[in-house]
Amino acid sequence: MNETDRLRAAIRATEPEGWGQFDVEAIMREGRRLRYRRRAVAGAGVMLSVAVAAVGVLVVLRQPGPVEPGVPPVVTATATTPGAGSTVDPTGPPEKPALGEVLGTGIWYGGDERVFYFVPVEVPRAAGVTIGLVAGRRSPDGRLTADFLLNDFEGSDRRPGFHQIGYEPSAVVVPADPVPTFGYFVGPAARIVGSVGKRPVAAQLSRWSEDSDVVIFWFHPKSLPPGQRLDGILAWDAQDRQL
Amino acid sequence: MARGDAEFVEFVHAASGRLAHAAYLMTGDHHQAEDATQTALARTYASWSRVRRDDPYAYTRRVMVNYIVDNWRRPIREYPTDEIPHRHRDDVADEVTARRWLQIALGTLTARERAIVVLRYLFDLPELQVARELEVSVGTVKSTSSRALGKLRQTLVELPSTPGGQR
Repeated sequence: MNETDRLRAAIRATEPEGWGQFDVEAIMREGRRLRYRRRAVAGAGVMLSVAVAAVGVLVVLRQPGPVEPGVPPVVTATATTPGAGSTVDPTGPPEKPALGEVLGTGIWYGGDERVFYFVPVEVPRAAGVTIGLVAGRRSPDGRLTADFLLNDFEGSDRRPGFHQIGYEPSAVVVPADPVPTFGYFVGPAARIVGSVGKRPVAAQLSRWSEDSDVVIFWFHPKSLPPGQRLDGILAWDAQDRQL
Repeated sequence: MARGDAEFVEFVHAASGRLAHAAYLMTGDHHQAEDATQTALARTYASWSRVRRDDPYAYTRRVMVNYIVDNWRRPIREYPTDEIPHRHRDDVADEVTARRWLQIALGTLTARERAIVVLRYLFDLPELQVARELEVSVGTVKSTSSRALGKLRQTLVELPSTPGGQR
């Protein structure tokens, strides 16, 4: 018996019974949600040269992200490179102004700094979603380049609690300017801690200039490698009460 | 329940076991394996009217394998060797040995190498089909497979016992 035979035998010898006890109803609900979102986007006629990752809420603006086979690239909203003198990437989305202050993080890629800022968005059949959070880069001359747009696709963008969390699509193929894991929380959060396995990872926070209930958070790449998924995330208020 | 839905339920019951096992071999983690399998099944259901008359199993497998390769984020890390195997065959010791060997062997491979190993040796797919499912060239499949087998061979040499062998 050679090594491939042994490998084949080992793979099959360890095939357990008991797998496959999945909640089919939950799977079908998620499938319907995906289907609905594709139709909603197609119906809105929104087709840009960007792709949606992370079930349609994370828009990768830097480059097309992984797309499942047979599914055309779609986008749920638009993002901008704000600033009157800014240059819009010809393949990028239409320009819109940033809402409020652009938040610097102190994370640098050469001369560019990682920044976060909100932009207006329009999501088909989700009137309560009007803002999206952009992870961008600010060059030394102040020009902004959007990398990721993160927005809700249903409900309200001011719903209390955590909203969508943005990840670099892959932890394996990471660009030179990876996007830190980021998102926003609505509520009086003074401390946010994620977890990877049993390891806690503290986030850095800043309140949005236009709405102090909105707390932008991100994980420094040195504490959480970009692309690495969190297993959990919690928030506490100033009195150390869990929110 | 619509006929298409009933067919999908039947499909999930028939296909999810092996898909989940494949996902587990590729990730080494039960939670990630379940997540990948459920994600692939949900995406399949979203396109069910289109794929049900074609080859839904191949479609789901392709979505799942690419989802794992694209989202893989840390080395294979968990093949519990102290738990009782779910299936009680004649010789549990052989299964434990095989499980331990797999833990070590697959842990030496990259995500793409593991994907190719699983597609080749669990699903018995020819190289051409593996290349199509991973959207790489046949040459890449051949070279990656050869590299993976080289690592496995090395693992085999270093281990005193042989897994899944004859008793």
